[in-house]
Amino acid sequence: MPPNFSINGKLLSIPILSFAESLELQQTLVRQRAGEQQRDTLILTEHEPVLTLGRTTKPEHWEPHWQKLQAKGISLHQTNRGGSVTYHGPGQIIGYPILRLRNFCPGPKIYVQKLEEVLIRTLEEWGIVGCRHESFRGVWVKHGAGQLEKIASIGVRISKGITMHGFALNVNLDLQPFSLLTPCGIENCKVTSMKKILNKQVDSGLVRKRLATNFAEIFNLEWNELKSE
Amino acid sequence: MEPQDLRYHKEHEWIRVEGNKATLGISNFAQDALGDVVFIDLPEVGVSLAADAELGEVESTKATSTIYSPVTGAVVQVNQELEEHPEFLNQDPYGRGWIAVLELSNPVEIDGLMTAEQYEAFLTSEE
Repeated sequence: MPPNFSINGKLLSIPILSFAESLELQQTLVRQRAGEQQRDTLILTEHEPVLTLGRTTKPEHWEPHWQKLQAKGISLHQTNRGGSVTYHGPGQIIGYPILRLRNFCPGPKIYVQKLEEVLIRTLEEWGIVGCRHESFRGVWVKHGAGQLEKIASIGVRISKGITMHGFALNVNLDLQPFSLLTPCGIENCKVTSMKKILNKQVDSGLVRKRLATNFAEIFNLEWNELKSE
Repeated sequence: MEPQDLRYHKEHEWIRVEGNKATLGISNFAQDALGDVVFIDLPEVGVSLAADAELGEVESTKATSTIYSPVTGAVVQVNQELEEHPEFLNQDPYGRGWIAVLELSNPVEIDGLMTAEQYEAFLTSEE
């Protein structure tokens, strides 16, 4: 049952991590959280260029141009999260919540909706109208005549009641690598970023702060670290 | 209302006991909390599982979740049809959405699982 008071959470904002480092950190936090030796935590970071695959990813969604991607210095990681193929790189803010899920919501469906809400609310503060797609999760923005472009992706894993993996928001990310794959396994999926929409570099430190604040509000958490600032 | 002839596990799996065998699946609450299931990773026939051990994984709404075995036993049958039709888990969780049949190693464990009435009370307390 979600408590009606705020839970004390831990915010870990780390400038940049390789995907492997972030996985190791998450696994440690999940183990600690499952053993009640850790608070609910939100990791905010960015990744070095990497392509990550989910369990339902089809080879044709990334293999055809893999050599070109590799030549750009992009590495490859198979993961056990939900969702299909995606690209992460500098300029994209990654959020990995490590939560005991049942303290916040009944299951994955509502959890993913709440993550979308955090992202939509944050985008709104930059005047960007994010929306949900009826069949494809994540956050989308209407472009021109109304075609939807993806600005944030979600892929999570819940094991022994603890969440890992999370969301990725395109802030100042170079979008070119997306044209060499089928993002999220969706044909003709266009990807956008806050920088592309606003036509200027976005203060990503501020985006991190607003993501942390909105996350705390929506999940009814209080960041000890933020309070002491 | 949950089916009366089943027993329920705290991780929202159900089990139907017939002799020394038990069919299991996920509850209506579980399928609703998961959202539309798009993929299931079934256990292999012949595998022995301890109670509360990982039985398989499902993917729904961009989330991968673990399914647990409510009891100790060996997998004797799996519902292969779910690989083609994972939506049966949502549409008919107590029928065509069954996941596996186990041969029970320790039938007394069944007594430790919840009845339909107890499970409904458990769901209310979790809300």
